Amino acid sequence: MNTKISAYAHPEVLVDADWLLEHLNDPNVRVVESNEDLLLYDMGHIPGAVHIDWRRDLNDQTVRDYVGPEGFAALCERNGIGPETTVVFYGDKSNWWACYAFWVFQLFGHSNAKVLDGGRDKWEEEGRPLTREVVAYPAVTYPVPAERNDAAHRAYYQQALEHMQAGKKMVDVRSPKEFSGETTHMPEYPQEGVLRGGHIPGAKSCPWARAANTDKTFKTREELEAIYAGELGLGVEDDIVAYCRIGERSSHTWFVLKYLLGYKQVRNYDGSWTEWGNMVRSPIEKSF
Amino acid sequence: MAYPAPLQELIDLFEYLPEAERRESLINYADASKSCGPKEGEVFDLEDVRKDEECTDTVGVFLRAEEGDRAHFAIELGPKVQTLTKAMTAILCRSLNGAPMKEVLEVPADFVPRIIGAELVRLRSQTVYYVLSRMKTAVKMLLDRRRAAEGG
Repeated sequence: MNTKISAYAHPEVLVDADWLLEHLNDPNVRVVESNEDLLLYDMGHIPGAVHIDWRRDLNDQTVRDYVGPEGFAALCERNGIGPETTVVFYGDKSNWWACYAFWVFQLFGHSNAKVLDGGRDKWEEEGRPLTREVVAYPAVTYPVPAERNDAAHRAYYQQALEHMQAGKKMVDVRSPKEFSGETTHMPEYPQEGVLRGGHIPGAKSCPWARAANTDKTFKTREELEAIYAGELGLGVEDDIVAYCRIGERSSHTWFVLKYLLGYKQVRNYDGSWTEWGNMVRSPIEKSF
Repeated sequence: MAYPAPLQELIDLFEYLPEAERRESLINYADASKSCGPKEGEVFDLEDVRKDEECTDTVGVFLRAEEGDRAHFAIELGPKVQTLTKAMTAILCRSLNGAPMKEVLEVPADFVPRIIGAELVRLRSQTVYYVLSRMKTAVKMLLDRRRAAEGG
């Protein structure tokens, strides 16, 4: 394990490309690509990787929610993932969707999971192998989890509201202009149906990208502590909620806070601004 | 308005493709986008290269008027452009090159979901519309220049 990774609070959740390369043929490891670019996996992926799409595979198709325990078990089974399989997530956009998929797997208690530091971009940049061959793994049995454990990892609107009213720590990971209310979409993206701009009152702005290096890897523990503990004043025991616009960028920050820094109570408010900014009578603050 | 015939043919083809084949065709077109850029020594009447807020990377549109008012496009894409946008670029280059410029300006964008299919239509894949709008902008700019020159 490289020294940067071993310094994190939970080094077991992060791997580098060398580790992954050594484990590509390990039958107990399943590599999962999760992207924003819908056809990127088809254009080439890490050999042996399967594709899990956030909307098709992780979201319920009729309710704004995630798949239930049966859907999750079925997803794992068709991708050859058993309850003991080590799942390594990677993807585009600095691992936003990889962290999001990792987060959904935690809702179902699949803790034997890791993220590839640097994601797809770094893997490609380093000229590591990619293939278009899609491997169909034999179906395995994945026992249906007893429940989806939202309480530990996820905040709903009402909980986010109570969190705000209690003056607890809340981190808005969107871009500065989205936070201020000047815009309702991030640069290079379409508007995703939000009526009002601004942020949840009391939330502190800390764009997700501050946790990432230009090569898409995570910053060192020391650098991350300087941001989240030093600048934002977050304490390891604090009850923290992170949000963005639909929950993918905040999955990245959730991963950083919970696993790289070891903060004990971190939840991702996946309804995020597309819910809060549209909710009737929900209070907002603007700062521009 | 009717689509230019080559585009109509592609729409008809894609619309009835099973999902797996549609994806495969889109991948092939995305691959083909690498050869949509200007060839060495090629001369164009208009070059519009920029990075806009609504797209993830730089897109260069090169336009030459052939046989009076027929459009010939070359399009160069930055590496971070989304795969669907790459595919749409190759589709549009193939189906609109040679079309009268007035016809390009009138192409409605409603064909896009018929080509990419419901499974791939998402808010965040809206940049598939972007290339068509850039091609139309290039045509408009060229026609405006011509008008200005004629007026002057």
